[in-house]
Amino acid sequence: MVKKKEYKEWPPYAPGTYVRESDIREKKITYTWWEPEVQYSWSLGPAMSKFLQGLKAGKIYGIHCKRCKRVIVPPRMFCEYCFGPTEEWVELKDTGIIETFSISYLDPDARRIEEPILVGVISIDGASPQHGFMHYFGEMTKDDIKIGMKVKAVWKPENEREGSITDIIYFKPLNGGED
Amino acid sequence: MGSLEKQTDPTSPMHWRGDMQADYFYPSGVAGDKFFKHMMRSDTFLASKCTICNKVYCPPRLYCEDCFEEIPDNNWKEVPPIGAVRLFTVAKLNAHGKKLANPKIIALIDIDGTDSAMLGIIASNDINKDITGVKVKAVFKPKDKREGTIKDILYFEEI
Amino acid sequence: MKEVAVIGAGMTLFRRHLLETGKELSFLATKMAMEDAGLEKDDIDMVVMGSAPDAFDGIHMKGENLIDGSAAVGKPYVRVFNGGGTGVFAPIAGWWHVASGVADICLVVCEEKMGNCYPHPQTAFRHIWDPILDRPLTPNLLWLFAMEMNRYMTVYGVKKEDIALVSVKNKRNAVDHPCAQLADPNITVEDVLNSEIMAWPVNRLDVSPPSDGAAALIFCNKDIVHKFTDDPIYVAGTGWSIDSTMWTNRDLSFPRYLAQAAKMAYKMARIQNPRKEIDFAEPYDPFSYKELHHLEGLLLCKKGEAPILTREGVTQRDGDFPVCPSGGLLGVGNPIAATMGQKVCELYWQLKGVAGKRQIPGDPRIGVANAWGDIMQMGTVILLKRG
Repeated sequence: MVKKKEYKEWPPYAPGTYVRESDIREKKITYTWWEPEVQYSWSLGPAMSKFLQGLKAGKIYGIHCKRCKRVIVPPRMFCEYCFGPTEEWVELKDTGIIETFSISYLDPDARRIEEPILVGVISIDGASPQHGFMHYFGEMTKDDIKIGMKVKAVWKPENEREGSITDIIYFKPLNGGED
Repeated sequence: MGSLEKQTDPTSPMHWRGDMQADYFYPSGVAGDKFFKHMMRSDTFLASKCTICNKVYCPPRLYCEDCFEEIPDNNWKEVPPIGAVRLFTVAKLNAHGKKLANPKIIALIDIDGTDSAMLGIIASNDINKDITGVKVKAVFKPKDKREGTIKDILYFEEI
Repeated sequence: MKEVAVIGAGMTLFRRHLLETGKELSFLATKMAMEDAGLEKDDIDMVVMGSAPDAFDGIHMKGENLIDGSAAVGKPYVRVFNGGGTGVFAPIAGWWHVASGVADICLVVCEEKMGNCYPHPQTAFRHIWDPILDRPLTPNLLWLFAMEMNRYMTVYGVKKEDIALVSVKNKRNAVDHPCAQLADPNITVEDVLNSEIMAWPVNRLDVSPPSDGAAALIFCNKDIVHKFTDDPIYVAGTGWSIDSTMWTNRDLSFPRYLAQAAKMAYKMARIQNPRKEIDFAEPYDPFSYKELHHLEGLLLCKKGEAPILTREGVTQRDGDFPVCPSGGLLGVGNPIAATMGQKVCELYWQLKGVAGKRQIPGDPRIGVANAWGDIMQMGTVILLKRG
């Protein structure tokens, strides 16, 4: 043990050396640069495999948990609430309602864009309430989009589908989007 | 049967390929910045000495990890870039397991006048020679090509 | 279970880029905490490191890399991490070490160097998303929080003006914090609403910045705390809980995982009426709406009531229930795990009465802090109290 430092106010100072972006650009400090290359191959597992195969065929599949009495989408092998295996695949509709959305003026690389991207969460018809996934919205403007709006999937042509979430291009308003 | 179905078709569970892209910028730190900036202008190393246990660190540190005290600026000194090989290995494959055109000798070198060792590549024509204990000296890039990283040391050679 | 006291705290400057390496930052924060407690390296029994994804610092197994700056060489050591929840989870893990009796004195260090991920830590954040369902849509992490903010605003009818008040309060509070990155004494609601829209409803001044920084805390067993202080600050309660990763299957308008963690902490602290029995709060505020979301998750007010309290000035430093007197993440900065500095260390400094210009008036006896992590899943809660 040593004598304590008795400062009246804490933190008493802010140790650390501020480096500005210009210091980096103008190489006023030394640094090492590294560009790692890492490749991955993620196994999908049986549930996701079937879900993506379904998307390739133009269908959205959910799966049933008997104990919790819910139809889950995106489907999974086991229910994370009761921790039991899920059973029975259910073919769902390709329509749903908007649970939430955002109007983004940043593209995926955080660059500014003029025309915003509309993205959000869609609860799929046929699944339990508030079960769905994230996707884009199209054929609507930022002033049209609302939570609760009814939407329908717009699919890629069959020969362009690969078994990916992007086999759906976006969700558009269903019948004008009104109830 | 849902997810309890057995998978008998080897092509049916799929895989998803992708990568994790990111670039990294590692500032050298307070101690490292001094060390590399010094090495850009001079062909020597800097070392720092703990005021309590007298351990001499090279590359130098802001603090002693054993005594956990900051090492003051006036406890830094210049040392010649010379040391003795403590141990070494000869690498014949690269990081991906492919054969190297020229095998590399990598050594841990105890730097003279310090209590520290540095990793370095040894320039040598004879990969079968036992160089344990051999004295080596750092060979640097030309001053105008130095960038302030460990690669400013090209290699170590026997003296 | 042993009672645990806090005897030292420290933190570094927070900035987008700091020259120091992760080790040096850990050293600076740890040294300050040790000076506060009057300890040397050998007095520390065990060390806990909290640091969020390796992908920010760009050093895999960075827990191991940071050891020598964390006074941990030759000691029992563990790194804990649950994304943004780490700022409160690391102190909880430190508390386990002492409460269980395996250590008398445990040091907790949190460090982050988000600036290493170039050009922006967004790149590392991209890998948090599910690789199969979400990443092919190339989402930006801001979209996620924008969607949660939208859901909260819609369900409870909250206006952006009320949410902007949180940014104004916290950035002004941060003027009195020596480590603050984004303090602004003159910021107004108009400034926030007129700042660039990033992903509606999130504007630039609604978001905290990425930062480099470190913080440290020292815990000790009640039996020996008299050696260090006559006015000990104790851990009154801890709680932690996590919700499903399947965030599209959850109602985002209320953080139920935080409510579970809060209930656990309040039960331990024997608190039945949080709003009345707790004096102030440091909820996690990486976004302005999160302070409100978390106040409700911490059960400190009814659902949808937090914006009203903010509007009425209740959460100002001199209000009835001060919230984020430190300046929070919005004002001081967001080096993920090192936010322990303006969350838990701030509770300690406020309770000791040494927070200087940030000190809340009156005689605060008990405060609560929370952190939030991963894909809006993790809730971690800690309560500190005076003697």
